[in-house]
Amino acid sequence: MRARTVELGLLVLASFITCVGYGFVLFSQQIEAAAPDRAAIQAEVGGLLVVVVGLLLAAHVVVRFLAPLADGMLLPVAALLNGMGYIMISRLDQGLAKSQSAWTFIGLVAFAAVLALLRDPRKLERYRYSLAVLGVGLLLLPLIPGLGAQINGARIWLRVGPFSIQPGEFAKIVLAAFLAGFLVEKRELLTLTGRKVGPIHIPDIRHFGPLLLALGVALMVMVLQRDLGSSLLFFTLFLVLIYIATNRFAYVLIGLVGFMGGAYVAWRQFSHVQRRVDIWLNPMDDPKGDSFQIVEAAFALADGGLTGTGLGQGTPKKIPYAATDMIFAAFGEEMGLLGATAILVMFLFFVGAGFRVATNARSPFEKLLAAGLTSLLGFQAFIIIGGIIRVLPLTGVTLPFVSYGGSSLISNYVILAILVRISHNSLEQVAEELEENSRTGGQLSVSSRTRSRWKAVSA
Amino acid sequence: MNRPIRHVVAVLMGLFTILFIQLNRIQVIDADELQTNDANTRTIQRDFNKQRGRILTADEVVVASSTPTPGEFFDYQRTYPQAELYAHITGYWSSIFGAEGVELTFKDHLIGASPSQELRGLTNPLDGRDPIGDIYLTIDHDLQKTAREALGNRRGAVVALDPVSGAIRAMWSYPSFDPNRMAANDGALANEAWTELVNADGKPLLSKAYQEIYAPGSTFKVITAAAALEANVATLDVPEFAAVDSYVAPLTSHSIRNFGGSTCGGNLVQLLVVSCNAGFAELGAEFVGPDRMVATAENFGFNNTPELDLPAPVASRFPDDYGSQVQSASDESPAGVFEDTPLLAQAAIGQYEVAATPLQMALVAAAVANGGPVPQPHVVAEVRDVESGRTTDSFGGRKWRDAMSTDRAIDLTKAMIEVVETGTAKSAAVPGVLVGAKTGTAQVGTDPPRSHAWMIAFAGQPEQAPELAIAVFVEGVEGSADQTGGGTAGPIVRSILEQFFS
Repeated sequence: MRARTVELGLLVLASFITCVGYGFVLFSQQIEAAAPDRAAIQAEVGGLLVVVVGLLLAAHVVVRFLAPLADGMLLPVAALLNGMGYIMISRLDQGLAKSQSAWTFIGLVAFAAVLALLRDPRKLERYRYSLAVLGVGLLLLPLIPGLGAQINGARIWLRVGPFSIQPGEFAKIVLAAFLAGFLVEKRELLTLTGRKVGPIHIPDIRHFGPLLLALGVALMVMVLQRDLGSSLLFFTLFLVLIYIATNRFAYVLIGLVGFMGGAYVAWRQFSHVQRRVDIWLNPMDDPKGDSFQIVEAAFALADGGLTGTGLGQGTPKKIPYAATDMIFAAFGEEMGLLGATAILVMFLFFVGAGFRVATNARSPFEKLLAAGLTSLLGFQAFIIIGGIIRVLPLTGVTLPFVSYGGSSLISNYVILAILVRISHNSLEQVAEELEENSRTGGQLSVSSRTRSRWKAVSA
Repeated sequence: MNRPIRHVVAVLMGLFTILFIQLNRIQVIDADELQTNDANTRTIQRDFNKQRGRILTADEVVVASSTPTPGEFFDYQRTYPQAELYAHITGYWSSIFGAEGVELTFKDHLIGASPSQELRGLTNPLDGRDPIGDIYLTIDHDLQKTAREALGNRRGAVVALDPVSGAIRAMWSYPSFDPNRMAANDGALANEAWTELVNADGKPLLSKAYQEIYAPGSTFKVITAAAALEANVATLDVPEFAAVDSYVAPLTSHSIRNFGGSTCGGNLVQLLVVSCNAGFAELGAEFVGPDRMVATAENFGFNNTPELDLPAPVASRFPDDYGSQVQSASDESPAGVFEDTPLLAQAAIGQYEVAATPLQMALVAAAVANGGPVPQPHVVAEVRDVESGRTTDSFGGRKWRDAMSTDRAIDLTKAMIEVVETGTAKSAAVPGVLVGAKTGTAQVGTDPPRSHAWMIAFAGQPEQAPELAIAVFVEGVEGSADQTGGGTAGPIVRSILEQFFS
């Protein structure tokens, strides 16, 4: 059970880092107020340590029972990102930190529930068209009068009692599952049919119908809801999955050309799209107005410099939405280029682990699902960080696991659970195949690499 | 499907590399530029949570201090116990509107971050405190109060400074404002104050003493007289101008009339004593000529921004282009005639486009009294370490420029004393004090008729060095047609002198 041992060690490390960071925040806050009360800080950090270790240990035990063969990197990296986010949120706003700890708990419960209930993700493949309907339905929910609510310019929220829920966060997962199922079904048709014009393979439009429809509806809904970040993310997901399913770059090329055309039309048609682009290209034209967010983020990052101001020592509260979309700028300010880079590296670790799950998956559907969900997280991180530091126009999405937000955190834990589940199942299948082969004496269908890996983890 | 998956991984790694490169650009390469950007209020906010030194007058009256505000967003609230009296000197320290006045120009000293203070901090590394400094002004609190009372609720400014060192003893501008309101940490209050003050009549946020320029009228004749003396086209005795009631410059039919239609003439002293427009116009236009008029005005400081230790002082203005020469020198016009000689005639008596700050006009009086050198004006005398009380920086006693030679300055001093003893500035006379002065009444606008009232003066104990140079300016507002330099500004000068020499 080497993977589980690694996981346990990394989880302990993640808890430790989280609690030390939290201690720094408390200490600097007390220095500001008066003399720091070391005993009180120690008590509070100790309390947090007990809670964090308890929660992560529980998650670890859940994995140990429900998915013992799963990859050991995914959960600890997610936990550390979640913990770092919590430190920053508590430093910015104690009230939000309380909610975030509740959301983290619910997220871990969702993680356990998905692991317990979704024993075989391949079953989802059968319900792909129902999933398409469900996904689009979730996206449309906020447009229903009385139920939906517009917050900060985007109509992507549902008001349920005291809570605001973003059904789009869950729609992304459902739509990724639909795309994976659909592409598995149509993969051969998409690869083999159609005409070849020079080196470019033109696909047959008939097989594309449902896909384009779903994509069109999804993009349309997102543009109408002014949720440009999610539509960009969803479009990227579509390109990634069709490329992985067909191994044909032509689709990506066609998609990119189509995207540029669409982006140009959107830019011509919608003033809010134009404004985003203007802010992106010339942020200093109106530093106190439209580009306030991005300019304040740049000032925060500049203040951070190489090593940062130190946790609790900067002024990240000046950045609008510092706890949600812009949280990366707060890290850049207080932890500097080094801390910001550490977050980039952690996302690369997570994405690396996720794509490893995809390459090891035994069924095409699981491969596409794992790759799709990993892409969602990786590209979402790229879109928001890139937006903050002006690599691309700023569109509001959360930084996965790090930003404040219930819907986002819970859906990320659901993604994590599915990846962990696929990871476990693929190794379990290898084991079964090995057993089957040894019984029948037939040819092994398992590669020698997979076999050695299996030996390593089951030792 | 594993091959395309690896391609996607490679693409994502590439994208994250781009993020890393751009992060380096923002956080390291462009960081300095971003930190000094005008829109960046972070530096100020950081400064806001730091302890700050006080600002005190020369006689140790506290005019700005920080009050701790535990539990609030900022740790300190800056307060100004003297309210509007020192608004244009201390300025304000606002988290929203930034800093003004000494709060801005000495912001490093106030938080202990000036080079000399940091050096001191380095030599004492075990002391964790910032070596913050108290700022001691050159202002005399009683004199400042006298300036406010004497000007009353007339728009204008009073500047009184030491003619030798340039130390400003009093500088008051009305209307003023309460810096406590601008500096309020409560954003709503500060915004309310800002909206009100920006739209208020009389521009209370700007100091009329050094941030606004006005037609100096006849006070400018001191410079014309200096130019004539420097150019050796006149002494105190010769030439003598014929008594006339107006002067018509070459190339024009427009006549420059004497004040009140009077007739005047005589030598330089006599011209100055009665402030003779016709004589000075002719002297400046045809005897001194454009080049030497411009040079002398600039030697006194016109067309140059004074090196004042307050933000945004403005330069006074003397037009410097009078076209090409159209007639060569003659007995009639020893300086020759230029295309715009008629405008020079106007400029020589402080009209046309001539405009000056009261501070500049006080420096004119100072330069004359000081025997030529124009001192560098300043409001801050020294910075003292809060902890030890030791002086870390001191200022003053520096020359800004040379206005005229000492001999000529002594001549002009005598002439200006004569103006007080027998001329238009009698209202500034104080028994037992030697006072020299020049009045000015600048008509600006005719509908409604209004005129600025000016007086510049210097004073000292007889047989001693001059101790004070003054400029008083009362703005011409509607219904102020009858205010004159002698009648309106003179009594204010006298009040200042009486307070100073009491």
